Amino acid sequence: MAEEKGKKERETDMLVPEETYMTSGVHIGTRQKTSDIKDFIYKVRNDGLYIIDVKKTDEGIRNAAKFLAKYDPPKVLAVSVRQYGQKPIKKLGEYTGMQILEGRFRPGILTNPNSKDFFEPEIILLTDPLADIQALHEAENIGIPVIALCDTNNETRYIDLVIPTNNKGRRALALIYWLLTKEILREQGKIKSDEEFTAKVEDFEAEI
Amino acid sequence: MKKAEKCITCGKGLLERGATTFQCPTCDEIIGRCGGCREQSVDYICPKCGFKGP
Repeated sequence: MAEEKGKKERETDMLVPEETYMTSGVHIGTRQKTSDIKDFIYKVRNDGLYIIDVKKTDEGIRNAAKFLAKYDPPKVLAVSVRQYGQKPIKKLGEYTGMQILEGRFRPGILTNPNSKDFFEPEIILLTDPLADIQALHEAENIGIPVIALCDTNNETRYIDLVIPTNNKGRRALALIYWLLTKEILREQGKIKSDEEFTAKVEDFEAEI
Repeated sequence: MKKAEKCITCGKGLLERGATTFQCPTCDEIIGRCGGCREQSVDYICPKCGFKGP
């Protein structure tokens, strides 16, 4: 009885029920672990796979949304070299008005003023610090804060806010960006309740 | 936004490459992080609300 009550309380605290995170595979990490991410790991499975603590993922999304909402949306840049992260960031840009950069990150976009698509954001959001290493280096050069979705194999070098999650899964990325979009809109005061946000998680999912 | 003068963790000036300034994600306190602390992923704690990052 007490256990059930505790579970319900925990679920109400979270943005979506814990089962939704589980079914999307947000908690699934990799077989590698870095010391930077060890605080976000819940356990190790028998097959050697590290499991991410979804409560910390939830907390990370809330903090990231509050953080991003403080900036003017056209001054925020979301980056994804990963294919499964490209549609979610497109949708994020569509709903929030943030700048997005999908696919290859051409060197110099943030650092070379002579570059055609030179852009000076105030904050950057990375889908995978390993894949988006060029964007991370350039953000480091110009001294802007960095938010990143980190898996168990990522380091948090030059990252100012971590969202611990599976950053390789199609459905995991869709859920994370859907929640982030919803929370940003709520923080900005554009929506007041969940019902006002009509987009579905499936809309954020990339095609196979 | 006002710029922080010193790193919140080590107290070093923020003139070197890699240093940054931002508002605390949960409150409005200005946080500065130097390039060294960011490179080594040293934890920072907001003096106002106690938020621990990264």
